Amino acid sequence: MSSREKILARLHNNRPDPDQYPLPSIPPLGERTATRQKFEENLKALGGQVLEQQTWETLEQAIKRYFPHEKVICSAVPEFCGTIRVDELTSPQQADKVDVLVVRSPFGIAETGSIFLSEEELHSLNSVAHLTQHIVVLLSENDLVANMHVAYEQRAEFHHARYGVLMSGPSATADIQGVLIRGAQGVRTLSIWWE
Amino acid sequence: MKVTPVNHAKAAEEFIKDTSHERFHDKRLWDLRQKRDEQMHALPEWQELRSLASQIKEHTLTHLPDYLEQFEANATKNGIHVHWAVDAAEHNRIVGEILKKHGVRSLIKSKSMVTEECEMAPYLAQHGVCVIETDLGERIQQLDKQMPSHIVVPAVHKLASDVAKLFAKHYNTDPDDDDPHSLAWAQRLAARPVILSADAGMTGVNFAVAETGSFVVCTNEGNADLSATVPKLHIATLGIERLVPRMADLGVFIRLLSRSALGSPITQYTTHFRAPQKGSEMHVVLVDNGRSHRLGMKDFWTSLKCIRCGACMNTCPVYRRSGGLSYGAVYSGPIGAIIDPTFNERKYSTLPFASTMNGSCTHVCPVKINIHEQLYQWRRVLAEHHELPFVKREMMRMAGKLLGQPKLYRAALRGAETALSVVPRVLLYNAMNPWGKNRELPPPVSQTFYAWYQENRIKKG
Repeated sequence: MSSREKILARLHNNRPDPDQYPLPSIPPLGERTATRQKFEENLKALGGQVLEQQTWETLEQAIKRYFPHEKVICSAVPEFCGTIRVDELTSPQQADKVDVLVVRSPFGIAETGSIFLSEEELHSLNSVAHLTQHIVVLLSENDLVANMHVAYEQRAEFHHARYGVLMSGPSATADIQGVLIRGAQGVRTLSIWWE
Repeated sequence: MKVTPVNHAKAAEEFIKDTSHERFHDKRLWDLRQKRDEQMHALPEWQELRSLASQIKEHTLTHLPDYLEQFEANATKNGIHVHWAVDAAEHNRIVGEILKKHGVRSLIKSKSMVTEECEMAPYLAQHGVCVIETDLGERIQQLDKQMPSHIVVPAVHKLASDVAKLFAKHYNTDPDDDDPHSLAWAQRLAARPVILSADAGMTGVNFAVAETGSFVVCTNEGNADLSATVPKLHIATLGIERLVPRMADLGVFIRLLSRSALGSPITQYTTHFRAPQKGSEMHVVLVDNGRSHRLGMKDFWTSLKCIRCGACMNTCPVYRRSGGLSYGAVYSGPIGAIIDPTFNERKYSTLPFASTMNGSCTHVCPVKINIHEQLYQWRRVLAEHHELPFVKREMMRMAGKLLGQPKLYRAALRGAETALSVVPRVLLYNAMNPWGKNRELPPPVSQTFYAWYQENRIKKG
């Protein structure tokens, strides 16, 4: 008898009567309207920021203004060049040199200020989203969902993406004496650029 | 082999002796509890979420064979290799074989309680694989050769000065610089090259979805995503109770998990793995290790609902003041005290007594495990199985006699009331009376309820 069969047989024999425990359906819960204001509020609570666009400022200019000292600006979006295209990076070791990654997210979640990224947006180099020092995420207000329930009900990405990460602010830790530190091992800052 | 029960009380006593550590520990965890409360009050649907989470888990556990098969079928279809491990030894063997096949010498991993439970790292070390923890708290514990003391914040029992000393020894940092920012930075700098050169990565699993064959990992530091995406081999290991049936169920659990754990609305990273990255290999190990047996324990099977948030630890007055290491087990705190005896009844026979029975653990549990009732139930089971120490057994016997005879009880109580008001402090606060240690006894009441009732109700009535 294989381990698989052994485990399944034990579970069959030992489990309480399954008929007593039906699967509940999940009713619509929580705040159901998505607003940019809510998203920004929660993004900031988790340490993220919004790149505030100045009059006539382009994304390129804004990045220069916010990250004046960073050298390797990597673009994963067609309309912006940066200093290197994500497709030119062939390994995580190369991705480690990136200072700022510019990428577009297909949707955000207002309840938590989260943005979604998958291999689609990251051009199959998923590690670049975590090896880069900073990340700038392009997001449209029309692509906001209200909360986690709506996200899981409506967004097909959760069913199709091989790798799908919800990033909520930059990486963080409070493992040393409870002091909250933004910028642990992944990105040190996470910024939203509204489009 | 003779098994000695963990001496929780003695270990706790050691922890309490160090006032600065004990005070910080207590304060830090209570702070997490209060942050959790703030999140709870911000969601009017909180109790509904808890009920749903509990029902979904109870349903899943009682239908676990079906959901495991469904998960396996879908994951396999997505290109994931699925393995089944009856126990810890088989888990370690499976992981060891995968690593051997790929010629892996260095493995980076994020937090996984199952690998702790299986004592995987020492096993792999014996087989020539260097295992590096990438989570900051876990890494601190690994460098200090200690078990995690908390399932969410593994080094919460340490002060920054302890970490500074430890890092100085291993990372050549300044032992006097105990600024948490510089220490965290030192970890980032030390970990990055290790991550970039590792042969394989390993993560735990918070939730596995049967419907899609995918699994979810919730972390804050970014280390799990680095461990899973940088090397070309990703092994994820999970207890078989991590399953949920549908993608939509995640909405309920993700909303509860980090709010209950750390008082934040969501972890910084909530990552969904459905298939290997292009050009990479992905393995999932489903671990039983006693869980199928626990499912058959009438009073204790619902402990399998646990989503490992640690809220019960943060709220527990005993845990907060005794430190996780005093439990001498991988799982500490209230949830540990009801899970651990299923692994080894004698070794962990003392843990269900590490509770004041205040029920706070049950009230904060996001999946509604009746933790304090199970603690009480374990005490019964252990008494029946003669796993009580002599003193406790004798005290119970005497208390049983006293409480069984109202007249004797009242006489004793009158004696105690008088005694409490007249005896000198030295008699109450000495080594023989554990209730007098580190706390003031309440002032004696002038009248017992029984005496008051006699006077005011029976006479007047």
